[in-house]
Amino acid sequence: MNEQPLHHLDTLRARQPRFRGLESGHRACQGCGEALAARLTTEAAGPDVVVANATGCLEVFTTPWPQSAWRLPWIHSVFGNTAAVAAGMEAALKQQGRATQVLAFAGDGGTFDIGFQALSGMMERGHDVLFVCFDNEAYMNTGVQRSGSTPHAAMTTTSPPGELRMGKRHMKKDILSIIAAHHIPYAATASVAYPSDLRKKVRRAMDTEGASFLQIHSPCPLGWGHEGAKTIEVARLAVQTGLFPVIEMERGELIGTLPIREPRPVSDYLKLQNRFRHLFASEYRARKELEHLQAIANRNIERFELRGIGSEAYDTEGADTVHRGGDRWA
Amino acid sequence: MIQIPPGAFARPGTSLEFKTGTWRVERPVHQRRAAPCHSACPAGEDAQAYLAKVELGDMRGAWETVVAANPLPAITGRVCHHPCESACNRAQYDESITIHGVERFLGDEALRQGWSYPVPIPGAEAPRMAVVGSGPAGLAAAYHLLRGGCQVTLIEAMPAAGGTVRTAIPHYRLPPDVLEQELDHMLALPGLDFRLRTQLGRDVSLEELRADHEAVFLGPGRRKGREWSADFAVPGNLRTGLQLLEAWVAGGTLPEQPRSVAIVGGGNTAVDLARVLRREGVEQVHLISHQRIPAPGVPDDDAMRATYREVSQALEEGVTIHEHRGVRRLILRGERVVGMELVHMKKLEDAGGRLRRVAFEGTETVLHVDQVIPAIGQDVDGTGFESLVRRGYMEVEPWWGTVNGQSGIFSGGDARSDHGTVSEAVGDGRRAAAAMLRYRAGRQLEPGVPPEPIPYSDLNLSYFETAPASKEPVLPPEQRLGLEEIEGGLQANAVRHEAHRCLSCGDCLACDNCWTLCPDQSVLKTREVAADGSHYVFDYDYCKGCGICAHECPTGYIHMIPE
Repeated sequence: MNEQPLHHLDTLRARQPRFRGLESGHRACQGCGEALAARLTTEAAGPDVVVANATGCLEVFTTPWPQSAWRLPWIHSVFGNTAAVAAGMEAALKQQGRATQVLAFAGDGGTFDIGFQALSGMMERGHDVLFVCFDNEAYMNTGVQRSGSTPHAAMTTTSPPGELRMGKRHMKKDILSIIAAHHIPYAATASVAYPSDLRKKVRRAMDTEGASFLQIHSPCPLGWGHEGAKTIEVARLAVQTGLFPVIEMERGELIGTLPIREPRPVSDYLKLQNRFRHLFASEYRARKELEHLQAIANRNIERFELRGIGSEAYDTEGADTVHRGGDRWA
Repeated sequence: MIQIPPGAFARPGTSLEFKTGTWRVERPVHQRRAAPCHSACPAGEDAQAYLAKVELGDMRGAWETVVAANPLPAITGRVCHHPCESACNRAQYDESITIHGVERFLGDEALRQGWSYPVPIPGAEAPRMAVVGSGPAGLAAAYHLLRGGCQVTLIEAMPAAGGTVRTAIPHYRLPPDVLEQELDHMLALPGLDFRLRTQLGRDVSLEELRADHEAVFLGPGRRKGREWSADFAVPGNLRTGLQLLEAWVAGGTLPEQPRSVAIVGGGNTAVDLARVLRREGVEQVHLISHQRIPAPGVPDDDAMRATYREVSQALEEGVTIHEHRGVRRLILRGERVVGMELVHMKKLEDAGGRLRRVAFEGTETVLHVDQVIPAIGQDVDGTGFESLVRRGYMEVEPWWGTVNGQSGIFSGGDARSDHGTVSEAVGDGRRAAAAMLRYRAGRQLEPGVPPEPIPYSDLNLSYFETAPASKEPVLPPEQRLGLEEIEGGLQANAVRHEAHRCLSCGDCLACDNCWTLCPDQSVLKTREVAADGSHYVFDYDYCKGCGICAHECPTGYIHMIPE
């Protein structure tokens, strides 16, 4: 390759027309959905924030001492208390009369399971904190153990398919309903496949006074068993099949959804991932679980009215439409 | 003041010290690939490139992109059968882009606004080239030679420029004012010595041209009617289809007013004439072709040579087409035709694998008509270059147009046995001009091929929305009586709409997908166009080679290549 460096890369990097909250050189795997989600979140949140980050992949791959990939104030908490740390920072900043926004970052383990009581308390006390859950549906950092967020029938190292079970026996916890029960001003789900929607929701949450919550579906190529290049495709299919509904809530009421034009069969999503490979065996249990997941998707579509009623052709309202010159992402 | 021990913090962005690019086994690269419209265009236009400029509102830049290949877009935008649209990837998504409508709009806009061709003024020392014939092939050759910095002598036997475009295309397809304006526009280019009423072999010899010029392009077209008879009977009032069509285009009338006519042949001349006869009030117009009506799915070697659009408009206008039929004999009363005997025929492969026409016995029918017009094609009139014509055609190297066995003589357009459309002629002229410049420079002519188009499967369609194509207004058949143009043009907003629908196959859309979706902040956006024509630069120091950018590129512009 004979590269003619028209641009000096360091200068070009410094001049990027967006805030680089998460810098290059982090150690995330190839095609990491969580790294992308964190990059997009900090980009939208802007520099005037402080972040409390629970133990997990995100914490590990961004801060191999003595280096850090963050370009904003960031503090590492233990696994379970991120929301408490964030609540403390928020109280301190408020006491000082500063407008700096507080973010809390955690994986699904640090949200659904281990960090849940601190999160519930933070929301109940109404701290002005945006809690972002990077949902990759298992404990990836410690080697892919099942979490409360792991979808039904998925294979993890602690929910292996075998004679007795077809992957995880239990359902994925409906965390948003639990969050909604806290009656907080803003809670939403988003996906790395729809970055403009994601960033819009981050900004909206930042503008909301009081506790807000954002769950971002972030594929993990290693833990889910798909090619790194397909991270966006997998995330997109999770939305388009109805398995991951992208919705917004205010005070526990549904106020918006990312509609699906033509729902895709769940098998389109599942067959790209090794963690669901056993569902494609030619046996009754596999067929049954495949249909079970389809039924879950159908119920989501029904419950959140992801498809319009009647002949109205719903689509993603341009959330994934590209335009010459990139104005889609503005 | 609280002192934080060094082990408890790190400085922001210091991860840049760690080059994750070393993990990579594949790297993304930008690679522009030809859009199918570009590969399919006989004239060599890059529709994707000019649609991109139209979308940005740069109409003049778009026109300049068109005329980089084809100097006559107002003409071809009307008469071309637009294989670009058949090839368009968007046809597999919803409907193809109305490319010819955009081309026509740009051509008309250039004439309306008087945009000048981006052609240099040749100096006194510029090489001299000769072009014979001012049909589309000759005009394109002359134009591209001028673009290449030459002086060009262009000779034309007729009293006006245009060749077949002027003499044989009915005004309802190509209004004369558009033709005149675009020809005048092009013929006014500096460095062009245009001589009308100058016939090769009469006013100037090929040897003289050859001696005074570096190279010669011959674009004689095909004007000599082929001998035609059915079972050795020739009616007394026999005229060829081209003669009648030319008479009508020139004067607007026909010498006879028969009630029923049979035209033998399936080319554009036959179909144009059939439509002209309907306009002139002939009640029954029959077209006899041993091939089929061209339609999607009909193989090329079994389809009439006329284009699908023309044939379907002819059917709308009441022309009767007899497919797979041949003329067995004429029924004459004295010298006058009263009918003909037709027979079913088809092309079949013989034992040697060659296609042969086979007539099926017992399928004869009689068709009563007052006149029979053969429109079975024409040969090259080789006056002045008789030795170069073989079996009625010019035999040329298919890409560069070098006349077989000749040095410095090139040809193309209808004079070739395999070409018969305006856009093919323009392409022939363009490539021959390039060949003439190379010939002069003493460079080898490597065999050329059209660029391989990017397939539909290499695009990522998740990022587009369906949108119906803008259609040109078409005059309903009952109103198509006179010379009025049948197809109206697209309005400016429809042209922009079409450009907006373009999928930008194989070319950077600057959509920001790669920049937005890279988890490693390794795609950097540039303010200006980057060296490779995109708006982005890969920072290989950090790119881990995950391939998200390539997989999510909507236009197939990013490729992963092994390190």
